[in-house]
Amino acid sequence: MSGANRLTRARRRLGLPRLPSSRRDLRLVARTVRLVLGVPAYGALAVVVSVLALSGFVLSQNVALVRDTVIGGSLPLDARLTILVEQYPFVGTVYEPLPGAMLVVIALLTGANVAVVAYHLRENGILGGDERDGAGAGGTSAGGSVGGAVGVFLGALGAGCAACGSAVLVGVFSLVGASGVVLFLPFDGLEFTLLALVPLGLSLFWLADGMRGAEIRGCPVDI
Amino acid sequence: MDFTRRSALATVGVAGLGALAGCLGGTSGSGDGGGANGTPIGDHPAGAGLDSQPALGPADAGATVVAFEDPSCPTCRNFERNAGERLRSGPVADGDLRFVSRVYPIIYPWGKPAVQALEAVYAREGGEEAYWALFDHYFAEQGAFDTDTVLDRTESFLAANTDLDASGVVADAEAEAYDDAVQTDLDAGSAAGADRTPTLFLFRDGTYVTRASGNVSYETIASALRL
Repeated sequence: MSGANRLTRARRRLGLPRLPSSRRDLRLVARTVRLVLGVPAYGALAVVVSVLALSGFVLSQNVALVRDTVIGGSLPLDARLTILVEQYPFVGTVYEPLPGAMLVVIALLTGANVAVVAYHLRENGILGGDERDGAGAGGTSAGGSVGGAVGVFLGALGAGCAACGSAVLVGVFSLVGASGVVLFLPFDGLEFTLLALVPLGLSLFWLADGMRGAEIRGCPVDI
Repeated sequence: MDFTRRSALATVGVAGLGALAGCLGGTSGSGDGGGANGTPIGDHPAGAGLDSQPALGPADAGATVVAFEDPSCPTCRNFERNAGERLRSGPVADGDLRFVSRVYPIIYPWGKPAVQALEAVYAREGGEEAYWALFDHYFAEQGAFDTDTVLDRTESFLAANTDLDASGVVADAEAEAYDDAVQTDLDAGSAAGADRTPTLFLFRDGTYVTRASGNVSYETIASALRL
């Protein structure tokens, strides 16, 4: 028996969800996301969540500034808006292009995750007790939903912390006398942002895997 | 438990939005270090010993920026390239802003000897101009410094560009002769809650307005201080 087969058996014994292993799996994820976001309500939800996610990431880096000048304080409206938009990637100077792009990608993935989770729960009746015909709610459906929520949570948390960059990492590490640890992070904390892509990507796959056999807008998810 | 689709969606939404906080409330600059909005600059932790700090711009300027920076910090370098230079060539030169520099060596190891050298330069007679020249040099040539070369390069720069006793400055930096000044800044930053670099404390008409961290833009600071 090959190593891959042994791993598969061990995973099944432990009840763990499977991992993407082929291009077909990636196509499944892409097709599922495309079909779900093609539904106007879910597309709008994804956009709203993505904007909220990005806002959460970037505004969390300067809470006091936003609180004292955008929300509170006595600045005129145009000054408040200027301060607000200047915190976002590609508008202000806070983020270099690559970290800024990564944050946008993670925000978009977060939006897609929430939209697919919402679709799965609502349209396939996973938790509503009225599972529909054709909804392939196999063993991975609920797991996919939970995995999706966990993935969104971990991904967002990881991205939020990664956005802090090396300066915060140094601050944290210096508390335990290990500020030199950042010397081993060649991309100044971007590594953490990249790590956040893993749970987000996996959660999308688990959701899509759980929706195999279902139809979205009359189209089969798995072809 | 009556677990409906709506409550499930709400749970997912709340979990997602909660997660978006990321570092919110942690090491994200949410603390004020005792400096509430409207605190007089003299009573704010970031303003401790302010009169003995390197500063550009008139003491009676309507706005003040107290900047905690580390010469070895790439984000500080980016801030200096973007906003710092514009602030000093614009509002500072026009007399509308006072820009106060405080050293905060918390990033790479070579920042520690670098700030010792900066304080040794500033302590010398006529050293203020040389302080800003060396300050700019550290950021302009940041990639060329490490713990083995920083003081040699500092000495070369001072010898070539200032009238100061360059070898004396380096000897003082090696002996940490002005460590009290460094510690004053570290204590002030710590008390003010500066947990990253750069951290800027903004004051308008002598009272605290807010703080900003990271490579914030000129427009952000100018808008917050109504420059």
